[in-house]
Amino acid sequence: MTLRPALAFHLLCLAVLRFASLIVPRAQRRDWWREWSAELWHVRQACTPDRGISWAAEREVAAFCFGAFQDARCLRAQSAPAAMPRATTMGSASQCLLLLTGLIIASLSVAAILPGVREQFYQFRYHVPPGILLIQSARASEDATPTISGEQFLLWKARRQQLFTSFAFYQIDHEPAINSPHSQPKINIAHASTNLFQLLKLPIPVAPNATNLPAVILSNALWRNKFAANPSLIGQTVHLGKHDAVVAGIAPPGSWRLPGKVDAWLLEPDSSLLSAHNGFVIAETSKPETKGFGGHWRMSAPTPDGTVDDFVCLALIDRTHTVNDIFLFAIILACLALPATTSLPLGEYRVGSRKLTWPARLRRWAFLTSKIALLLPLVYLVSIDLAYLRPILNHDTSDYIQLISSFSICLFGLRWSLRDQRQRCPVCLGKLTHPARVGQPSRNFLAWNGTELICLGGHGLFSTSPSYPPAGSAPSAGSTSTPLGTSSSPKRASPLSTSERLSLTV
Amino acid sequence: MPELRPEPRLSHTAAMILQAVNAGYVYGFSIMEMTGLPSGTVYPAMRRLERDELIRSHWEQQSIADAEQRPPRKYYKLTRAGRLTLESSRKRYPLLTKLIPSPQEESV
Repeated sequence: MTLRPALAFHLLCLAVLRFASLIVPRAQRRDWWREWSAELWHVRQACTPDRGISWAAEREVAAFCFGAFQDARCLRAQSAPAAMPRATTMGSASQCLLLLTGLIIASLSVAAILPGVREQFYQFRYHVPPGILLIQSARASEDATPTISGEQFLLWKARRQQLFTSFAFYQIDHEPAINSPHSQPKINIAHASTNLFQLLKLPIPVAPNATNLPAVILSNALWRNKFAANPSLIGQTVHLGKHDAVVAGIAPPGSWRLPGKVDAWLLEPDSSLLSAHNGFVIAETSKPETKGFGGHWRMSAPTPDGTVDDFVCLALIDRTHTVNDIFLFAIILACLALPATTSLPLGEYRVGSRKLTWPARLRRWAFLTSKIALLLPLVYLVSIDLAYLRPILNHDTSDYIQLISSFSICLFGLRWSLRDQRQRCPVCLGKLTHPARVGQPSRNFLAWNGTELICLGGHGLFSTSPSYPPAGSAPSAGSTSTPLGTSSSPKRASPLSTSERLSLTV
Repeated sequence: MPELRPEPRLSHTAAMILQAVNAGYVYGFSIMEMTGLPSGTVYPAMRRLERDELIRSHWEQQSIADAEQRPPRKYYKLTRAGRLTLESSRKRYPLLTKLIPSPQEESV
């Protein structure tokens, strides 16, 4: 059995058409195939001889079939959505909210990467109990400076107290991680009294120490970096700096709120705390009379040399303000400063024009609220990311950075929210990007004329009078209304009802 | 109510195809034969004319095609807007009626 050449050519042409039909959108493909296969039949009937084969005719039929590709591409282009101007697509309400959400996710991802930011978030797990005070010399310029000697601490502890129930002490040494004469990475070891963590009421499980060696509590960072997060380290003897100590526990991240960056706390008997370095004294008070003193008060106390000196007591709960306090303060400042940077009205329709419907008003306010609701967490996260970008910065510097950054971002963010709202169509929330001529110069005394912006839907903030004919009615002779840059095709007309549409005709 | 929509200004090829449809060449291949244009020009142009509602298409009844033992054809017809546009195109392209005379014009 042999295939006739004419039939073979016909099948080949059908294959070409079938291939071209793949370009046609699925919805139109069946109809397109039906038309082209029928036309091919007629072309073949008209061009090819009844018997035999004519190469010229087959070439003509083939040329006809190849034209199907252009037709298919034309249909594909027609069914593709019309390319919207970039200003409009980028300015749509949903894209604006999506952009803000994307920024929040990005800043959250950065926060998850930065160890300093993670530590700030961990701090939310721990609450400083009331009645814990940090005592410092009144001559100290800042509370991060150690000012109390070990002798002073022992003197106070030995004396009968009226205000305080217990004291704890720590002083920080910068020591090499391993006791070696060569340069080694140094760590901060706090030589602390054994009751430090009980007084701070930190939930650190401390293993019993049956040896004569001092107990050491490692910071979470040191435990991970130096000891590879070994879970069986507790109870083992380690060598830190110049000391051998038994690991008694691991401090959870974010639990340390006192001055100084500490990698390990060496819990030593009081007699071992006498050194040339000064440290910090923590005191606990449960006396009701101290509650009236507030979070910052002064006292006079004896010193080891027999004199009396002035000291400052700082409530730890006031000192360890969280990032939330700074954020809230910055928000209030930004709200107060906002009227100085931009006007607050949102650009309502002018008096005399049609009122917006309730759903349109609600949608507009919901959009503004959503923008601000997304802006606030963004400001919070970005400011914390900036403040704790580098862990080596001290706490005060980070606080300043957070305050300034959250104030600046919040102020300009709120300003952008209001200005963006004013530049949007109140009806469809699209950007008002297209200029339209309104009015006639010859009627200058009767009505306003000039150029105003409209959105793609034909809405805007027009100052049209209700006496003018509504949209869809016949324009009077000589009237001018030209939305510049918009299509004049009726297919591009606003999908909204006539009552919502503002008149372009004046 | 006056028509606000402007009349589209057709290219000479599109005007020829519109004139051919008006002259009674109502399917793609006959238009190709009449105008001498290739299929890659005629069919896309007819898609655009149909999109702009200057022509509209309909399928031939299956029974007619079956009686003649051929596949049914897709026929094209001018719309009212298409006739108006063709009128203005004839003014723009005066030779159009001479290139493709329609039967009623021939009788005149």
